[in-house]
Amino acid sequence: MSEHTTTPRIAMRGISKNYGGVRAIRQADLTVQPGTVHALVGENGAGKSTLIKILAGAEQPDTGTIEFDGKPVSITSTTDAIRLGVQTVYQEPQLFPDLSITENIFVGREIKRGARVDWAAQAAQIQELLDMIGLPQKLATAPVGDLSIAQQQQVSIAKAVAGEASILILDEPSAILTDAEIKVLFSIVRKLTERGVAVIYISHRLDELFEIADTVTVMRDGQTLDTYDIQDLTVTKIAELMVGGILTEQREPRSFHDVAPTLELHNIDVGALLRGINLQIRPGEILGLYGLLGSGVAEIAETVYGMKQPTGGHMLYRGKPMVNKGPAAARRRGITLVPANRSAQGVFSFQSIRFNISIGDLAKLSPLKGWVSKRRERDIALDLIKRLGVKTPNENQPISAMSGGNAQKVVIARQLLSTPKLLVLAEPTQGVDVGAKEEIHRLIGQLAESGTAVLVVTTDLAEVLRISDRVLVVREGSIAAEFGPTATQVDILAAASGAVTTRKAS
Amino acid sequence: MSTNLESRAPAAAGAPSPRKLLPRLVTGQEIVLIGIITVLWILLGFLTPAFLTPGSILPLLVAVAPIALVGVGMTFVIITAGIDVSVGAALMVCAVITAQTMVATGVPLVPAVLLSITVGALLGLVNGLLVAYGKIHAIIITFGTANIFLFIGLRLFGSSTVNGVPGTFDVFGRGAAGRTLGIPHSFAITLIVVAIAWWYLRHAASGRHLFAIGGNANAARLAGIKVKPLVLMTYVVTGALVGLAACFVIAQGTSTLDQSVGVGRELSVIAAVVIGGTSILGGRGSVLGTLLGAILVQTVTSGVTQLGWPSQLSDLFVGAAIIAAVGTDIVRERARRKS
Repeated sequence: MSEHTTTPRIAMRGISKNYGGVRAIRQADLTVQPGTVHALVGENGAGKSTLIKILAGAEQPDTGTIEFDGKPVSITSTTDAIRLGVQTVYQEPQLFPDLSITENIFVGREIKRGARVDWAAQAAQIQELLDMIGLPQKLATAPVGDLSIAQQQQVSIAKAVAGEASILILDEPSAILTDAEIKVLFSIVRKLTERGVAVIYISHRLDELFEIADTVTVMRDGQTLDTYDIQDLTVTKIAELMVGGILTEQREPRSFHDVAPTLELHNIDVGALLRGINLQIRPGEILGLYGLLGSGVAEIAETVYGMKQPTGGHMLYRGKPMVNKGPAAARRRGITLVPANRSAQGVFSFQSIRFNISIGDLAKLSPLKGWVSKRRERDIALDLIKRLGVKTPNENQPISAMSGGNAQKVVIARQLLSTPKLLVLAEPTQGVDVGAKEEIHRLIGQLAESGTAVLVVTTDLAEVLRISDRVLVVREGSIAAEFGPTATQVDILAAASGAVTTRKAS
Repeated sequence: MSTNLESRAPAAAGAPSPRKLLPRLVTGQEIVLIGIITVLWILLGFLTPAFLTPGSILPLLVAVAPIALVGVGMTFVIITAGIDVSVGAALMVCAVITAQTMVATGVPLVPAVLLSITVGALLGLVNGLLVAYGKIHAIIITFGTANIFLFIGLRLFGSSTVNGVPGTFDVFGRGAAGRTLGIPHSFAITLIVVAIAWWYLRHAASGRHLFAIGGNANAARLAGIKVKPLVLMTYVVTGALVGLAACFVIAQGTSTLDQSVGVGRELSVIAAVVIGGTSILGGRGSVLGTLLGAILVQTVTSGVTQLGWPSQLSDLFVGAAIIAAVGTDIVRERARRKS
């Protein structure tokens, strides 16, 4: 623990939280001094968000104590947290698109004259705030929905600060920003710390911590490891702490050079999101794409599946030029996507497991086109449920009643049924337990064995190394580095978060 | 109707002028509506000379009153991204209870009006509690309660109409008793309610919160807005206004109240609100627009009748207007997401 003589603004001690049977965090400690920027880092699922939600009053801890300016407090609701001056700026701006900036900033604490909102008084106060966050005065009355994402985030910060923040939590604020916008963000953060605000800064971009953070707390597997002064750290050191040393769980290198690629991307641009993406994937190969949120990694998957149209470059699919007008066209070619947001895009939640398996390839179930054989549907579903070890009383159970891991197995099982030529998997094991993770990885391996080219887009470091034959690291819309299966998690994390500044000349 | 977007583009430099501190007084959609209504009235004036006379316009305003009145509550509800499809059935319940009480006891005007408003508010309370605290979408809840209210209403009617309704409510009616200086009382009351609601939505903090709830309910909760009580309030207000509207409807009818009272009213009300520019997605809307929407809907209905056209044509025109209004709204929202 680094030494401070002042009373900490906030001291969280021995915090634990379980969700159902899953332990989100256990015995976490976090001590933040006023007037400092305290970075909270850890891989996805390390427990950062849960810890922050507890501080913001959105979740209640199972155990642990919280002290505010040396006095014990209990935070049982967001209102409690706000009263203490805990303000959170979430990744997705929590704003009202049809209300003006001024109204957004004052919502819930309007300056009133009688029952009436005192517009003039609010306008007077807003000027200083807009100056501080660097937004032009003329935007005060603009509806927030018409602003850019970066401006919306500035509004979110202004909103948080206007509420007399004593602790400002910034949850991955830089993920959606450009470099110039990040500079603006940092200058705002510095102004706030000068005023004595304690800032908790969550970020995956480790390089930027050296510009903005004073202290760093590292979380891993739901625990806080320790708190360090930033001077004592390097990007590589933080990456090592995050992943817990060097893991040696790697695939044997395999060679695919003798087969023609299933898919080739040549200098693909997508607006300002992707620039000059080149990649190749061959039948039976598992290619991992790793990148932080906002790096463009998700857009690569969407482009391959026809959800985004390239604005430059070309794609070759099995040697022939490919233009995908949309997912249906990609599907016809034998390209399938298993989306990350399963509940929204992947499953028909009220329908049975049986339905969810067979919807993948109804044609295979129909002796006559357009007619689904119930019996065959059932047989195939039962067979897959058995093969995959899906835990369910029967095949008619609605999929929404299953755990995340089992639901994801069902969604992947759907792909086994149709054996695509190219499978794009986004975050295949997000939010599933360890056992299910194993099985999903095994399933992906099986698919590759049967000749499917698998493109895995993931922000899970351990996963990308474990299942990929090759890993491409995406940063700021370009491929930043390529690794074979012998790379370490630290190599990849460092490349993705900006330690490796060398970029391939193109 | 896209004038909003243009005027919103940050063009002028410098600090905002005091006038611009407020939400805009009249939105693009309202100007368009005023334009359409004016054109329609002039056209109808040419085609049927009788149209632009007090004998034709005053009944039109009287007919607008109950729709616009319930429309005010409905605007509140839809701004919070809810909807209430039970207002027609609720109006039936209010009307039958009030009419039967007047027949049975000869209760005077003020208590009769209060009775109707109370019944309406109670029905609104049922909707509001279920929507705000039940976490089920408003259209499902109110579709369910609409059927229950309909059952209650029809049971109260029994197998017969309510006959011999006294003239207690003539003060809200079409006749001379219903006017002062030529202005129908029911329409004047509606204007007052619209004005109060307009001020409330524009200037009162809790009024602005309704827009916040419709824009992003979760963010509203995080901002410390008491979302559930406010949502509940919108349904209770709607119910109370349904109760008042029921008095107008009784006054406009004959001394016999039959089982068709209120049936289908929810559709004209929702049409008025949506045509008036309130976003069905929540977060944006105005009661002034709703009033204009109600006048437009009633103008089309009366116009079709006075021209001697088949009455189904008014359904066609209103339907087209709804699609145009909702379409503009959604196109606008998509344009915004892309930018």
